[in-house]
Amino acid sequence: MKNHKAGGNIVLVLIMVYLLVPLLLTFTFSVFGNWTSMLPKNFTLRAYEDMLATPRFFPDLLRTIIISVVPVAITVLIMLLALYTVLIFFPRLEKFLQLLCMIPYAIQGVILSVSIVSLYTRVPGFLSNRIFLLVGAYCIVILPYIFQGIRNAMRSVNMPMLIEAAEMLGASKLEAFFKVIVPNIVPGISVSALLSISMLFGDWVVIRNIAGNAYENVSILLYMTMNIVSVRTATAMFTVVFLVTLLISILVFNLQSKTEGGTSREER
Amino acid sequence: MSFIRFEGVNKTFGNGNHVLKGIDLELEKGNLVTLLGPSGCGKSTLLRCLAGLETVTQGRVYLDGADITDLPPQRRDIGMVFQQYSLFPNMTVGQNVAFGLRMEKAPKAEIEGRVRRILELVHLEEKIDQYPAQLSGGQQQRVALARAIVTEPKVLLLDEPLSAIDAMLRRELQVEIRRLQQRLNITTIFVTHDQDEAMVMSDVIYLMNGGLIVQHGSPIDMYTRPESKFAATFMGHYNIIPAEAFSRACGEGVDCADLAVRPEVFQMLAGPLGREGSYSLRGRVVARMPHGNIVRYTVDCDAMEIDVDVVLDGAGLFELRQEVFLSVDKGALIHL
Repeated sequence: MKNHKAGGNIVLVLIMVYLLVPLLLTFTFSVFGNWTSMLPKNFTLRAYEDMLATPRFFPDLLRTIIISVVPVAITVLIMLLALYTVLIFFPRLEKFLQLLCMIPYAIQGVILSVSIVSLYTRVPGFLSNRIFLLVGAYCIVILPYIFQGIRNAMRSVNMPMLIEAAEMLGASKLEAFFKVIVPNIVPGISVSALLSISMLFGDWVVIRNIAGNAYENVSILLYMTMNIVSVRTATAMFTVVFLVTLLISILVFNLQSKTEGGTSREER
Repeated sequence: MSFIRFEGVNKTFGNGNHVLKGIDLELEKGNLVTLLGPSGCGKSTLLRCLAGLETVTQGRVYLDGADITDLPPQRRDIGMVFQQYSLFPNMTVGQNVAFGLRMEKAPKAEIEGRVRRILELVHLEEKIDQYPAQLSGGQQQRVALARAIVTEPKVLLLDEPLSAIDAMLRRELQVEIRRLQQRLNITTIFVTHDQDEAMVMSDVIYLMNGGLIVQHGSPIDMYTRPESKFAATFMGHYNIIPAEAFSRACGEGVDCADLAVRPEVFQMLAGPLGREGSYSLRGRVVARMPHGNIVRYTVDCDAMEIDVDVVLDGAGLFELRQEVFLSVDKGALIHL
């Protein structure tokens, strides 16, 4: 038993090292002027000064947060309503909904973006707006992750039984869903939302193909900085972007633990 | 006028399963009525039709004189306790109990007062800030009960609420539920497949089988006067004996198809006992099983096995394969 525990701990430490070493090396590279021998030399914050001097960095970062969070919020809301309708009123349609939501898995970003652009931009109007198109495309890209996360969470709470209990206490089906079911599946929603946000945060292909120069995110800025300005400044930017995503994750998990309440407590 | 009335209620599910077959039922106010029957007999479906959780295929349901057949559950003024507690895991005990009052938009101070009072009634006032996962099964079921009655519904429905609880705690909760029901004088319908539970708790028992009500009456009537073979086997551990075989074994003719005889009405002796007005049989003990303060013997009488209950009173036990004599009053035989 003890050996198993020790083995498990070793595997965990190895995985942590595997995940953290690239991050640490990137950070180290960003704060030293010279790294040609074994150890880096000339500690400097020059890369960070350059980054702060880049006027597009913070607006791009804000744009990235917005374009990552908005489609996730829209998709979560749509998926909650769709699953509510299907599971409560048309349970037989669930397999079709699942099939529909899984299709984007099979479509690569390039194909999706090119298809969307060629389909919608021919006729000028509301739907040909590149930003709307981008939000719509992102909603499709993250659909499988959001669907699976919410569906699995719903399976774990015995939704029909809790809705019936709430109905017997005076709630309508919709009230029961949003007041009882949703608070209980917040952990599932937040995990799939975080996964989707981090996917969209690092997107380069879809945003480049759909929005072109109309909407620049940090991935595009990083690519340009790396090619035109300096790799070191790009690593400083990457470090800050990583810290921002980490902060978003911590905020979401804090929110989740507050909403979760007693679902994880066991003490009889 | 009856308080609850089912009028020709039929329920057929989408797969063609005809679960309720023309139920006509009238229940009085303030009673604790039990729907008793084996799994799949339609007792829970009937309860759910009253709650509004299932739609009625045909027929009408009335509560307190009003037709509630087409009303949604939240407008029926009915409380319900489910088998699996159905407490909301993300809410504390207090929040769970207050849920119904919040739906009624009761003032905050009133909610607090009523929640506290009802939790005192079920002896859980100290658990008000705990979450369901921190409570035992019995405590969770008491919270579910408090949550169902805090809104003072017209009817309380209990759908096998004790079946997931261990035997000792179940007996305690049976008494507690009955006491609470009598104290609040709330009309209650209790669903169970456990005849002992039905006997302990009910004013009236409705026995169901195959989507029909086959017999109803007080617990004592149901136990002592079964009207069918099914009622006799389900309500008590009756011996169902073909009359022809019984006549052959005791040497006297009996004029009916089958006989129902309770195991405790037989007198079992080591020697013959010819009594006026009784039948006598001779047999051999083939099995012996202690059940607390009684011992249940299975006696083979002329290829006919009869269960006999004997009180364990220190008079000594009959041995396996021992020859014994059974005597039963003629009046104790129920002709089916």
